[in-house]
Amino acid sequence: MSTNEDKYASGENVDLTAYALGELGEAEMENLAKKLEGSPEMRAELEETRAMAAALGEALDSEPKLELSEVQRAAILGDRSGRDSAVPRKAPKSPMRRVALVAAYAASIALVFTVGAHLMSEVEDNELRYKFSYVKEGGASSGDPVAAIGYLGDETRKQLPLLGYEGDAGASPGVDDQASANWSAWHSFDGADGFGRPLSDKERESFWGNPDSTSANTESYAYIRENKFRSVANEPLSTFSIDVDTASYANVRRFLTNGQLPPADAVRIEELVNYFNYDYPTPTGSDPFSVNVEVTSAPWRPQHRLVRIGLRGKDIAFEGRRPTNLVFLLDVSGSMNSADKLPLVKKSLRLLVDQLESSDHVAIAVYAGAAGVILPPTSGNAKGVILEAMERLSAGGSTNGGEGIQLAYEMARRNLEPEGVNRVILCTDGDFNVGTSSEGELVRMVQEQARDGIELSVLGFGTGNLKDSTMEQMADHGNGNYSYIDTVREARKVLVEEMGGTLVTIAKDVKIQVEFNPLEVAAYRLIGYENRLLANEDFNDDRVDAGEIGSGHTVTALYEIVPPGMQSDERDVDPLKYKRTEDPSVAAGQGEMMTVKLRYKEPKGSKSRLIERVVRDSGISLEEASADTRFAASVAEFGMLLRGSENVSSSKLEQVLRRAVGGLGPDPGGYRTEFVGLITRAIALGVTGDANLRALGYGEDLESIGYLGEDE
Amino acid sequence: MSVTETDWIREVLNQYERPLVRYASRLLGDLDRARDVVQEAFMRLCTEPRDKVEPHLDRWLFTVVRNRALDLGKKEGRMTPMTDSHREQPSSRQDPARTVEAEDTAARIIRELEGLPTNQREVLRLKFQNGFNYREIAEVTELSVGNIGFLIHVGLKTLRERMGSMQGGTMRTNEVQS
Repeated sequence: MSTNEDKYASGENVDLTAYALGELGEAEMENLAKKLEGSPEMRAELEETRAMAAALGEALDSEPKLELSEVQRAAILGDRSGRDSAVPRKAPKSPMRRVALVAAYAASIALVFTVGAHLMSEVEDNELRYKFSYVKEGGASSGDPVAAIGYLGDETRKQLPLLGYEGDAGASPGVDDQASANWSAWHSFDGADGFGRPLSDKERESFWGNPDSTSANTESYAYIRENKFRSVANEPLSTFSIDVDTASYANVRRFLTNGQLPPADAVRIEELVNYFNYDYPTPTGSDPFSVNVEVTSAPWRPQHRLVRIGLRGKDIAFEGRRPTNLVFLLDVSGSMNSADKLPLVKKSLRLLVDQLESSDHVAIAVYAGAAGVILPPTSGNAKGVILEAMERLSAGGSTNGGEGIQLAYEMARRNLEPEGVNRVILCTDGDFNVGTSSEGELVRMVQEQARDGIELSVLGFGTGNLKDSTMEQMADHGNGNYSYIDTVREARKVLVEEMGGTLVTIAKDVKIQVEFNPLEVAAYRLIGYENRLLANEDFNDDRVDAGEIGSGHTVTALYEIVPPGMQSDERDVDPLKYKRTEDPSVAAGQGEMMTVKLRYKEPKGSKSRLIERVVRDSGISLEEASADTRFAASVAEFGMLLRGSENVSSSKLEQVLRRAVGGLGPDPGGYRTEFVGLITRAIALGVTGDANLRALGYGEDLESIGYLGEDE
Repeated sequence: MSVTETDWIREVLNQYERPLVRYASRLLGDLDRARDVVQEAFMRLCTEPRDKVEPHLDRWLFTVVRNRALDLGKKEGRMTPMTDSHREQPSSRQDPARTVEAEDTAARIIRELEGLPTNQREVLRLKFQNGFNYREIAEVTELSVGNIGFLIHVGLKTLRERMGSMQGGTMRTNEVQS
């Protein structure tokens, strides 16, 4: 190669480079082509130059994508409203301070109730400990809110580590630090002030996705219209598909932990309720799941009844499962470049990979500017190889999810396990650019692949950009689950503790149809499942897709029932004028409240089977109901309050809190206890006005379950 | 702005916002400033007659961003202008503890690229990141096409050598004199 160096300044090599890059004119090109024929050195250099050019192009493609702020974009497009909304809000920056403020007002009434969760150290410490304690009003003279704020602000600040769940809220400065470190690493960062940029704080916020900022937020949620009461006389049948997604709960938790109320449409009640495991008995017969129904009174309207339908899938040990063929499809676009995204994705997947065996296969595909294979299908034995490939990932480039998902499906197909689990696991913040194809096409593709046995699960990450509805829809049509991962603890729950349920489907297309007896029920209302409703005729139609149930999974659905003879103001239509008033059937006179019918298919089957259960109301009160039912009811009530539902207009969060505490049960994993903490957060955020908790008698409740702090 | 005009601006924004912010941030070494420069360029675009700009839209945008960035850089003395290009800063060599092998190739290339003189870096970016050809780069940077060809050639060659030598292969002498 030394000969090339000699010719360095001659201009020939400049031409050779231009030739390699296709920048030469036609005549010059022919000229050079001739020279190339006679010179192996030149040909070698040509190849090297081309290789370098390709590598450089690829490297430059992977650089972080940088954008204008929403505000600037709005300014360019002359959008006044965008500009107005961009003015930083007056709201206190720190969610902690906000909690403290509300708490301070409460203090001027009497005492403050604080709940804290110990800051958890990532993976190792998966035991959540809570401490409930009363904070004495102390030096603040009552009736002086200013003094109270000062005092309690300090007090709350001292408890900062106690107030965050796994440090979410407390960690937001940390996230910022991490983000600016990324930026510094990427380019020497100079914080010096430049010329007029009055919005730079705001911009930085939107750039680094500060969880505090809502105005620069592009998260989107599909509108949910709450189910209404239906009169049994007019509509005796209620049909829906089960839903085992839990993403909404984790997302709601993220909001509350950050000191914000979630948007109503981010609250999907069935996902809140199904986040928790319930202690339903395992199935005994040939059916893959047990059906458990309990009827008690509705906590938020004691004159109404509450029906809880609980399913539990049979347990299949993860070790004894069939081979698993996984393709991780990772979004490595620039927007994933923050501590709560790609690094968390890596940690999460590491947890999953740790459980794989030699008969399993893992492949990794990424998408950003262009989709690419990072790891071809690799045996679960070669954990080092898999983890190393994952470690190399870095965020950068724009998103082309459409291409990426096609690539992932191709890879899954290459290694298809006809008898096993084949699944693409998409990890993204939702910035899912489908390229030229429409969202409808994407969903159709996902559906077709699911029909061919390749399922799709979606793990949502990060904030500010979450396309909640798209992600849910994709997982729904892909016969997989949609989970939102905000912490390593959540990753552990989804990918380790519930691995069986997440990956091993024991029944698919599970539909529920309830027939109500008009003699026993005047009206009913399905709580949640708004986007899972099916037409009555879909129940027996095996072509209609529905939800999957995994190994060990529990699924819970709640109905609020208006007993006969009681007027329900929510009745939506007049009684039918021309309907023939038929005599009730013989069965109706037997005191049966309703019949629950379920249809499901075996995981690889195409014909559904039917299960039927007759339900009678034994008239038990809420206090007599199982802890599981009481807890599920309090989760649903909490969700309704967050949604601002008129069905719980007379409920108070404080009452929900008490009921939730009463339904804690043994609570392995501490998830229910964590939920209790969320209620107190919502109280601090003013979901209901009355925060005078002592008056409601919490002391005894909390003491009785051993949560009352020693510094009482 | 009329509706169609706004639509057009929106389209242009979607297409060029990211490349421009990235380009400007490399010129300025500061994201906030880069965004401001890009915003200004788009604001100017809104006042420009569309038919005049559209035929060479990409070059127009890059030129405006570049000139504004250079102005700003000069004013604050925090950027080396194109003519004064012999910036020696192989920051890559400053951290011996870092094992080179473990590093991602892409990251290594970027690091080496950052070690090149400013003018080579910029031209290489315009070529390989933004897909301009020599002639277009000449238009944006107001240099001759020949000059561009030379800068790209030298830049690529230096990169090749540094990348090659880092793989433990033959240490080649770097005789680049630009």
